[in-house]
Amino acid sequence: MAVTPALTVLILGAGVVAGAFGATLGLGGGIFLVPFLNLAVGLPITVAAAISLTTVIATSSSVSAARAGHRLINLRLGMALEVATAAGSLGGGITAQLLSEDTIRRLFAVMMGIIALLMLRTLNQRVTIPGTSVDPGVLGGRFDDPQSGGMVAYRVKRLPLALFMSFIAGNVSSLLGIGGGVIKVPVLNAWCGIPLRAAAATSAFMIGVTATAGAIIYYGNGQLIPALAAAAVLGVQAGSWLGLRIGERASNRALKIVMAAVMLVVAAIMAVRGQR
Amino acid sequence: MNGHAAQDAKLEQIIRTILKIGVGTSSAFLAVGLVWSLTSAGSATAATLMTVGLLILMATPISRVAASVFEYTIQRDWLFVLLTTIVLLEIVASVIAALVFHRKL
Repeated sequence: MAVTPALTVLILGAGVVAGAFGATLGLGGGIFLVPFLNLAVGLPITVAAAISLTTVIATSSSVSAARAGHRLINLRLGMALEVATAAGSLGGGITAQLLSEDTIRRLFAVMMGIIALLMLRTLNQRVTIPGTSVDPGVLGGRFDDPQSGGMVAYRVKRLPLALFMSFIAGNVSSLLGIGGGVIKVPVLNAWCGIPLRAAAATSAFMIGVTATAGAIIYYGNGQLIPALAAAAVLGVQAGSWLGLRIGERASNRALKIVMAAVMLVVAAIMAVRGQR
Repeated sequence: MNGHAAQDAKLEQIIRTILKIGVGTSSAFLAVGLVWSLTSAGSATAATLMTVGLLILMATPISRVAASVFEYTIQRDWLFVLLTTIVLLEIVASVIAALVFHRKL
């Protein structure tokens, strides 16, 4: 496909929209960007995933730069789990080169459906408040949580499970061009005892490395189109900035329901398209 | 007890600086390249600027892992030297995988 100025501007705009929804919903823009690039623009899914991964790197880096210094990101846990996510990402990037367009599209549809259902399930999510006098151990952490009024300390439970899910998340991330936080965060929170905010911040920190391991493979294979990636990265950066500002005012519950419905429809279209 | 609080805070500051510089410079390259490509279609300079921007973007997380290897070495925290080195090696492996697929084309 020829890279025209019109296409570049279209992708810049799509990046803004995807980034804004991603930031508002805490999902990252990839889950919206990849189907748009694939279904609406007509880019091969590997090319769409490659572009999306570069936006994941940018979002991870800028979000983590803003958060670092508040002890919310658990560096040690992140670096330990990165061993698993980067390995998964390597596997996902290679798998993407071997699977057919239809297969990857169907896998994306399944993942998107799961994410939409997860989003509906967490509509009335309650924030778990851990104790304050826990010994965090080597991988645990403590941070200042205004919601529970003081320092929160936590220990990491079920590390093998956290590593395993990080490996899966890495695979999915590279193969489908999404961040993978949507797989890690619920598990880290519900099963490994990590408070939601710390789990989300640590995951967002890790996905930069995860996405880089995948993006390198796409780049080497000539699937990363610089002009389109540049447009998407800048668009998503602007969109997330907007989303974080608008998001606080918008009704999150209604938005989640609408977006989950949209995602289920898009997932169905992707699955059907994949069967041609 | 987590006795690494002070060193970890220092590493967090280093990482913050690396990420800020990385995002800032890559965005600048991408933005200038993109505007340039829109005003003069097919410009080789614009394409180069955008490619450099993307390479800086990909180098940013790699740099913060490398900085962590260095910082944990200073702290003599060998477990984390090992873990962060493995992550670096995995990224090297993806470069090798990229070269393998590149040759296939």
